Amino acid sequence: MEAIQAHGALWSLKEMYTYPNEYIYWTIHIVIYPYITGLVAGAFVLSSLYHVFGKEELKPVSRFALLFSFALLLIAPSPLLFHLTQPQRSIHIMMTPHFYSAIAAFTIVYMTYMAIVLAEIWFVFRPFIVGQALEKKGILGLIYKVMTLGSYDVSEHALHVDEKITKILAFVGIPAAGLLHGYVGFIFGSVKTVPLWKTPLMPFIFLMSAIISGVAVCIFTYLIVMFVSRRFICKNTIRSMCKVLSLFLVIAFLLEGIDLVFHAYTAEESWGILSEVIFERFGFEVIFIQWIMGMIVPMIMLMLPNVGLPRAFIASTLVLIGVFMMRWDVVIGGQSMSRSLAGFLTYKIPIIPNSIEAFKEGPIPVVILLSAPFILLFIFNKVLPVFNDITSEEDCYATPEKPS
Amino acid sequence: MSHAWRPVIVVIGVIVFILGMRMILVPGDFKAKNGDYKYQWHRVSSEEFWKNFPVKHKGREFCKQCHPDKIEKVADSGHKNVQCENCHAQFNPEKKGHPINLKEDFGYLLDIGIDRSRELCKRCHAKLEYRPNLYFMFAKGPSTFHMIDPTKHNPGIECVTCHDVHRTGFK
Amino acid sequence: MELTRRQLLKMGLLSVCGTVIPISALEIFKPDALASLVHPFSKKKRWAFVVDTTKCMGCGMCAKACKLESDIPFDTEVQRTWVERYVQLKTGEVIIDSPRGARYGFTANDPQGRELKDEDVTKGFFVPKLCNHCEKPSCVQVCPVGATYKTDDGVVLVDRKWCIGCGYCITNCPYFARFFHPIYNVADKCTFCYQRITKGLNTACSDACAFGVRKIGKLYDPDSEVFKIITTQRVAVLKPEFGNEPHVFYLGLDDIVK
Repeated sequence: MEAIQAHGALWSLKEMYTYPNEYIYWTIHIVIYPYITGLVAGAFVLSSLYHVFGKEELKPVSRFALLFSFALLLIAPSPLLFHLTQPQRSIHIMMTPHFYSAIAAFTIVYMTYMAIVLAEIWFVFRPFIVGQALEKKGILGLIYKVMTLGSYDVSEHALHVDEKITKILAFVGIPAAGLLHGYVGFIFGSVKTVPLWKTPLMPFIFLMSAIISGVAVCIFTYLIVMFVSRRFICKNTIRSMCKVLSLFLVIAFLLEGIDLVFHAYTAEESWGILSEVIFERFGFEVIFIQWIMGMIVPMIMLMLPNVGLPRAFIASTLVLIGVFMMRWDVVIGGQSMSRSLAGFLTYKIPIIPNSIEAFKEGPIPVVILLSAPFILLFIFNKVLPVFNDITSEEDCYATPEKPS
Repeated sequence: MSHAWRPVIVVIGVIVFILGMRMILVPGDFKAKNGDYKYQWHRVSSEEFWKNFPVKHKGREFCKQCHPDKIEKVADSGHKNVQCENCHAQFNPEKKGHPINLKEDFGYLLDIGIDRSRELCKRCHAKLEYRPNLYFMFAKGPSTFHMIDPTKHNPGIECVTCHDVHRTGFK
Repeated sequence: MELTRRQLLKMGLLSVCGTVIPISALEIFKPDALASLVHPFSKKKRWAFVVDTTKCMGCGMCAKACKLESDIPFDTEVQRTWVERYVQLKTGEVIIDSPRGARYGFTANDPQGRELKDEDVTKGFFVPKLCNHCEKPSCVQVCPVGATYKTDDGVVLVDRKWCIGCGYCITNCPYFARFFHPIYNVADKCTFCYQRITKGLNTACSDACAFGVRKIGKLYDPDSEVFKIITTQRVAVLKPEFGNEPHVFYLGLDDIVK
């Protein structure tokens, strides 16, 4: 009789001494969950920069970033459904929340943020929605009619109010985005049993890498969409986004650096095995992909003068890969050292979906989850077009330029 | 300001919906026992589940109902602290075999059988450099524990060929 | 339209208050929490466990009995209780292993499959492990849905009908006493045989131990052997630095025990 495999045995390889129950319990879905959440936060901050700080050159991407952030936000919790062994019970987190747990706050943080993003989208697109609701017929017309929430008031005064509220929402949204992602960092940072995670810097490290990945994904997507649809790409906008990206790259780099230096300098009991994980077992992932290719190279590329479109595209792609690797290194790397400090675990993602569990934890859901926000953005764009702002050079020149 | 309040109404609607769902879905006995929300926030009837979990190892008293002779014999031997179930409860389905269906007739849930393998005896009696060689559980005081080197002590033969395990002596 | 300073301040204040008030309602300062910093174990009659490692022979009967009693598929590589072997060589190297959770016992001098000569070994011993049923269980603290809890008598249990299977409790246990049940797919752990101890029986593992290594009893119970040992002998707990106040007390622990 074949023994039933323990949950985790399928993708964990054990070396030397690990506890009998020790497996990599948090797998690929816990890697992409903070990754997508980070993209949400970053995209939202980018859209807020225009509304709150009046960065006019970001106007062409502000609506796009807002809607993209919403598309990402819808997908953000779905990796968890793949991760849970009892996904049908996920509703319990809303029914009997235990707020001593970092995870329990998820509902509140997520719903609050969702409300802010949705409200901002509503206020930003209201004139457009009302116009469409009056004009379109059929199902699409009905959708627009529902979206108006019954208000067709587009008088000058009403639009004035909209603008004011948008500004407030964008302003409140920044701490909310920070909270959403800082909180994800807290989920990891508060795990006292995993030495790599246990640092008060974790929420800030996650937040900074969230912002860089969010800005990078906006640059990446915007460039691809504009290029494919052969629209005009405003160089100033890209340049401004790159400036934001490079600024936060420096902060993220410093934070991650100080975290590592602190671990090494205080050299607690776990440092011996931790350093082996970071520098040897995850040496390529951490040092080459995450730091050199994901941070240092894009930093140099963006800081050199006259950033062009190809350079912006390559740099943002590298940042996206680097941040993904960072999530991987934190989640998988943290669990790769045994809690007994006397052994290692290796994560092997199950490629062949020969069982439900192997499928759930395999690469197919990952591909689906990572492409879903782009598909959603495509659908949303049909209802609320975000790329129409820039179709000609005049639109771009209309935005005031600031000397760089 | 009238139109600006509409999203607020939607938000309130969602909150009311969730609170309504809570009233339906949360079991009535879900509470923070003793006001301890940190460590005792749970469905109280779950404690009953664990209290009513079936007891499987029923010990010597259970076996005594049919095998009083064996129990007496063991109680007088060096194995008097070893439970019957230690050797006779079988995890290997091939080794189970009890003339009476204990599950149906006595509600006894373990698989009982006889394991004659050397491996079973080696669990205690194989000599290991660091295995404690004194036994403290007899009233007469510490006594030396009998250990053998399984590679040298009649390898390949079942221990029960010569030893009577219930009497802890030779046959 | 410009946002006035007054509005900004109002928004800021509102959002700060909105987050702070619910958080502050959770943590109320309790004097008994402070008292427990002074007392090494809690004052109430709660279950505790004693493991005398000096007597452990590594037969693994406890692990076997536990697995059969708790109805976990026998050959699935998860254990509610297991026995670890620590072997230190004369070179100073420490080899730790627990082959198949020791449910088949230790029958040869082959830690981690390495053939060792007796004369190379300077010391060795066995350490049985199980859930420590902490007074401040970090696993319970982090359960987002209240599916795991501490009973009034100090036993940490899992609600199989309410667990969502996020694995946060498993990640937060310093001892790795938790795992996913292979059939029910919810977090599972040692229950101190709650069905037995509440009926006046011993736990399955301490019943199966012929060497008197494992004992269960209540603290502050004058008849309890466990309480007598804890109060009169030199006992230690595993990983006290995590602040969980574990309630499995060990005799004969060594510095190499992880």
